[in-house]
Amino acid sequence: MKTVFINKLKPFLDAVAGWCELYIPKKAGKHYVYSKYDPAGGAVVEFNEIRVCTPVKEFLFPMHELAATFPKSFEPEDIKPFAVFGLKNCDLRSIEILDKVFEEEEFEDPFYAARRKNMFIISSDCTEVGESCFCNLFKGEGFARVGFDLNVSKVEGGFIIEAGSQKGRDFIEEHSGLFSDVQPGLLTQRDEIRDQVNKQLAQKNAEFQSDAAIRDIVENGQDSDVFDFEARNCVECQGCTRVCPTCHCFYLYDTKRKDYFAKMKMWDSCMRMAYAAVAGGANPNKVLGDRIRHRFMHKFVYFLDRYGIDMCVGCGRCVDADVSGMDLRVVLKELDKEFKDKNRKKAKAAK
Amino acid sequence: MNKNLYQPVNGEIIEIIDESPTIKSFVVAPEDKFNFKTGQFVELTLPGEGEAPFTPSSSPAQTDKMEITIMKAGRVTALLHQCQKGQKVGIRGPYGNGYPIDDFVGKEIYIVGGGVGLAPIRSLFLTLVERIKDFKSIVCRYGAKTPADLIYKDTLFGSWQKIDGVDMKLTVDEANDGWDGNVGVVTTICKPMDVDIKNGAAVICGPPIMMKFATFKMLEFGFKPKDIYLSMEKNMSCGVGKCGHCMIGKYYVCKDGPVFTYDQLKDYPDIWD
Repeated sequence: MKTVFINKLKPFLDAVAGWCELYIPKKAGKHYVYSKYDPAGGAVVEFNEIRVCTPVKEFLFPMHELAATFPKSFEPEDIKPFAVFGLKNCDLRSIEILDKVFEEEEFEDPFYAARRKNMFIISSDCTEVGESCFCNLFKGEGFARVGFDLNVSKVEGGFIIEAGSQKGRDFIEEHSGLFSDVQPGLLTQRDEIRDQVNKQLAQKNAEFQSDAAIRDIVENGQDSDVFDFEARNCVECQGCTRVCPTCHCFYLYDTKRKDYFAKMKMWDSCMRMAYAAVAGGANPNKVLGDRIRHRFMHKFVYFLDRYGIDMCVGCGRCVDADVSGMDLRVVLKELDKEFKDKNRKKAKAAK
Repeated sequence: MNKNLYQPVNGEIIEIIDESPTIKSFVVAPEDKFNFKTGQFVELTLPGEGEAPFTPSSSPAQTDKMEITIMKAGRVTALLHQCQKGQKVGIRGPYGNGYPIDDFVGKEIYIVGGGVGLAPIRSLFLTLVERIKDFKSIVCRYGAKTPADLIYKDTLFGSWQKIDGVDMKLTVDEANDGWDGNVGVVTTICKPMDVDIKNGAAVICGPPIMMKFATFKMLEFGFKPKDIYLSMEKNMSCGVGKCGHCMIGKYYVCKDGPVFTYDQLKDYPDIWD
């Protein structure tokens, strides 16, 4: 492991931008969004306290992309290396989840794989806990231990940069003039900040913490009325699935271009009425409550059973996006209550 | 760089056969040899218009061309029905598991089909007939709305009736003057003594409502849920278990199916919708 110190972010990011395209967080209202970094443009370099508003999947699986052409075939173009700064641990975990789907051995998505291979990941520690953050309910933490090329921790007087891959170590080697050694005590300070954030996370979500496995809670609750209850206020805007960094449904459609035909790939949402409808008119999820149920079952039961990992990182973006006020934590809490009631009744009956 | 799994192989429609007022068979010749297992499906693209999943109705032994039987049911199929010979198309696949033919060896195979559901069954039937000695018997029960809606009429009334080891019966929901066969839904010609249930495998394919009642009939006869094979139709789009549209519970119909045993699906709600 290679750890170095730098007192300002700009020279570090300039060095990254000198090597490849770089995207950095930019303040937009009370959130951050990603914007391309132009070292000469006088852009303000900001350290985002928590995750950026938009999901990291945008970089790997764009909202809209060309997937195939006709009659001449189309293969993925060479993707140039690019870097993203300010990704948080939840973002890295969402990439791990998307990898399972798009880098499956037998059916690897070549567009995703090409971008993934060329993405230089610069993560950073969370220095605050957002209103909707609940990564700790899914064994998350406010900082990353794996999954990054470089990780940035904000400490007094500067930043500690740690390499997490060969690419990251090479970068530090090649730009060793920029960095200095980490002064004694700073690593301890970093760990204290990390602990502090983790404690805040635990406090914030204490009321939602359950000793039962979320998978079991949700599976038990698949017939619960809670989904129909939530459906009463849902306006089917699909915002929850768009901003979700792990939702990966897409829609393939064909269209005409000037000299060729194109097959396009576009984000889709299981909240959409006709999502599962077939040509004959059948639709297994006509009712909105059933679609919300499917979203929960997919995230917490089906995906886990298939890939061994929850399809939720607790980033809370869906909570921020939900205009109806649905909070995933509240739904899980309700399901947990139903789960425990049922178990209590069962235990009583067994006595 | 990996092969682009969304890129179809180019092909051409070289023949169109009218099967019924709403069903046509398209003979498609891909530019390259195309291998598939019976029961697997392909995504057929009408360039610039759209793509839809179909299970080829021809034998997999034929690799230079395949037949795809299509009912006019939605936007893409309506456009396909307007196509002429020579139309360029794209083919992706094959996708999914197909029928587990080797598991059928030594068994009595009870095939129940309805309407355009005979398409995948035809491919299965042709595959089974090629090695008919491996199976104890092949019993086929097929129904359509009216005599005009029966597909593959030439072989259905002709050569298929004469194959040794095949017991084929037909029915229509509504008869007209020329029909002297059975009248009633397909389950009315299914009898428990048709096959040795204990050594049997039931294969069902047809419209959802027919599959539902045929499945219940098979259960009533004593077939075990694990011996009832269903060819499921859902909104398969990517074909490779990613886009999410075809999920039945934890299964992706495109990747884990389209052939499932009833045992795999029975606990999920709305499988017939």
